[in-house]
Amino acid sequence: MTASSATPGAAPLAAPGAAPLAAPLATDMGLPDYVVRRPKGFYHSLNPATKLALAALEVVAAFAIPGWLGPGPVLAVLVATALASRTMRSLLLIGLAALPLVVSIMVVNLFLLPGASDPIGRLGPLAPTWSGLWFGLLTTARLLAFSSAVALAYVTTPVDDLLADLSRRGLGRRGVFVVGAAVQMVPRTIERVGEIMDAQRARGMDTEGRIWRRARGLVPLAAPVVFGALAEVEERTMALESRAFTAPGRQTLLRVPPDRSIDRALRWLALAGVVAIAALRLTGRLG
Amino acid sequence: MTASGSRRLDPAPAVPSIEFEAVSFAYPDGTVALDGVSLRVEPGELVAIVGQNGSGKSTLVRHLDGLLRPTSGRVLLGDRDIRRAHVAELAGRVGLAFQNPDRQLFAGRASTEVGFGPRNLGLRGAPLEDRVAAALEAVGLSADVASNPYDLGYSRRKLLALASVLAMRTPILVLDEPTTGQDARGVARVRAVVAAAAGEGRTVVAISHDMRFVAECFRRVIVMRAGRVVLDGAPESVFGEAAWPELRATYLEPPLPAVAGARLGLGATPTVSALVAALAAAAGGGR
Repeated sequence: MTASSATPGAAPLAAPGAAPLAAPLATDMGLPDYVVRRPKGFYHSLNPATKLALAALEVVAAFAIPGWLGPGPVLAVLVATALASRTMRSLLLIGLAALPLVVSIMVVNLFLLPGASDPIGRLGPLAPTWSGLWFGLLTTARLLAFSSAVALAYVTTPVDDLLADLSRRGLGRRGVFVVGAAVQMVPRTIERVGEIMDAQRARGMDTEGRIWRRARGLVPLAAPVVFGALAEVEERTMALESRAFTAPGRQTLLRVPPDRSIDRALRWLALAGVVAIAALRLTGRLG
Repeated sequence: MTASGSRRLDPAPAVPSIEFEAVSFAYPDGTVALDGVSLRVEPGELVAIVGQNGSGKSTLVRHLDGLLRPTSGRVLLGDRDIRRAHVAELAGRVGLAFQNPDRQLFAGRASTEVGFGPRNLGLRGAPLEDRVAAALEAVGLSADVASNPYDLGYSRRKLLALASVLAMRTPILVLDEPTTGQDARGVARVRAVVAAAAGEGRTVVAISHDMRFVAECFRRVIVMRAGRVVLDGAPESVFGEAAWPELRATYLEPPLPAVAGARLGLGATPTVSALVAALAAAAGGGR
């Protein structure tokens, strides 16, 4: 037995003076992380409803304001917020997931925009147009503004904070459960698929070979996803019932996300912005 | 079957050593799961890895079959750097039994499930059937050869998942929490599997929170905390009184015989048999 970074004979290997891991739990009167969670910055600390209101304003601005005056500033604000809240990497990953849609938007508009008559050149029977390119880029910018606004609110808001806030604002238990299940479904499924794929690859399933070989791996991947999800639904239902999910009366929330005056101000501002853009749009003053 | 009742199987291929050279790994969200781990496991060693949840145990072993690749550092099987090796290729050398059986079981018959790995490795016909039968026998599920895996209880599904990895006859066997959810009979099965693998000269690496299982089945214990190896040695030293502060900082308790032996002044007694022997020796000495 050898361990090049370890002294045989069970000598402690931790760096001298390293802080014991118990310390963080011992603070805050021994309350767990769920109760005493500290946000990582200003945007993270905003109330979930505030972040949703800001996202709504950004989406409305990106789509209702004509030309680049809508999506351009919105994207700039979103990038600045993502950098400040250190979520740029997550947003870029989500943006990558939208890549196939972006490509299809660009291809369709570049070659098939109705009424476009300003060709860039010719590619066989196809003629890409400047108008198509411009419209495709604008549509892509709006799509990215939409996905980034929603994604920013999502990645900076713990799901339990969102659910607790919805509950406090009067959404019933079933409604909160439905929202929670829907919000968590995608990341849960992604996590489940990742682990199942790892387990099957560890048993020699080829995910890097030819397409027909990879196709044979669909059943070993799909079956545990489906069976696991069904089993989880059953277990979760029983767990909820056993914890008096359907009992009458109002729940006591273990933790309520703060709702400060800055949150209320920002929500009013977002509402005013949405109303103003809608009014200007409806009266034709935005062009 | 041989006269002794065990099946005659092809011998396991040559067992390579395992070497982690200053391996660090960070997940895409920036979480550093391994922080410069260096250790070497000789062929045929029985190694248990213990540590609190999130200490990097599972991340470490997933490097062995290429499911994860080091952010920095190298992992060597024998003298081969596995950085560029395909997982499907490494699966023939490292068998990894995952913690949650429901993340891998997919087939409608136990025999199909167990045959999935060896079939992926190219085995067909009678040798494949022999492998499947031997693996099911090893975990006590011979009678369930035609059962649907989802009709089995959790502990038996877990044993079935273990059988599906045993059937691959890899020179290195990695078990992630093999005794979780097992009753005494199930734990005895797992112990027998470890002992049989050891008897064949194979390397066994197991992650476990079951300190009694660790002390009684493994000759080397590695304790991890925050992505680092903090203790590394024989059970007698890792569970010895001098290491208790380090264990407790990692939220681990030494096995009861070790505590009893220390309290009685009998020295290092990590297992029941060691404690009994020490008691007998002490009683004999006192006469």
